[in-house]
Amino acid sequence: MSQTDPAQVDEPRADPDLVAVRAAQNDRAAFAVLYRRYLDRVYGYAFYQLGDHHDAEDATERIFLAALAALAEFRDTGSTFRAWLFRIAHNTIANAHRTRARRPTVALPEAWDRPAPDADPARLVGRGEELREVLALIDQLPDDRRQVILLRFVDELTAREIGVVLERSEGAVRVLLHRALRELAARLAEERL
Amino acid sequence: MPILHTRAVRLDRAVDALLAGRSVALPVDPGLRRLVDLAAALHETLLPVPAGSRLEARLAARLAGRPALGEGLRALGERARRELLSRERLLVAGAVSSAAVGVGVTAYAVWHRSGLRRS
Repeated sequence: MSQTDPAQVDEPRADPDLVAVRAAQNDRAAFAVLYRRYLDRVYGYAFYQLGDHHDAEDATERIFLAALAALAEFRDTGSTFRAWLFRIAHNTIANAHRTRARRPTVALPEAWDRPAPDADPARLVGRGEELREVLALIDQLPDDRRQVILLRFVDELTAREIGVVLERSEGAVRVLLHRALRELAARLAEERL
Repeated sequence: MPILHTRAVRLDRAVDALLAGRSVALPVDPGLRRLVDLAAALHETLLPVPAGSRLEARLAARLAGRPALGEGLRALGERARRELLSRERLLVAGAVSSAAVGVGVTAYAVWHRSGLRRS
């Protein structure tokens, strides 16, 4: 008997961005809706990955310009627009990592102490010691486990969407998330002993 | 279905419920329950990072296909610099300015004299 892949258990969800995507494919100005909807999430993803606000801003610009340039190629084939957008983000950030390979990077907890100079202070409320502790532990995880935690909890992508970003099956992403949380729980327990 | 896959599916569904703000049925398995608790703590702690307002405005302008204000000013400055570097243009600009001043002074003198005559 063949094994059932958990990836096949759930039906794909409808893409909530599809109407906005169709509009933007016909009229470039309509892309503003998608841009405003995803700016913070994409910027946050870039920041968590690069640990530097200036690099994150550069990457965010490249990501949205690349998305706008390739928007006509986006097809509704079971995946969602945001999975497609984060796939572009993932590739852009991987390139940024390669080009700055010899530059020292700032660890996430330290980078967090330096928010973007013009960020709205009201939106930074509630980020204290607890967050820095969690970020320090996430920073120590292997890259794929770190990515799955950030994509799932910061960007709120589904396992299926993360699969598109990381080029893995939905089932593999679920197992990866389970392992990442187990490792994080073990590290937290060690810290608090 | 392997046990790890079953646990991973149950955990992922609990995370789905957490993110959607639905109530989560806590698993009986204490190991899995601990992971769901950790997922809930992560959901509350890890917030999106707000982008700066300058980035938002600059990128919005670039996406709309027009230069941002900063880029526009830079382009204007560059154009002025190029104009000033051209000797011929500088001479023509100087000559036109001098002629304009001369015409202005003459016109004022004529107007002033005619005013004196009337009074």
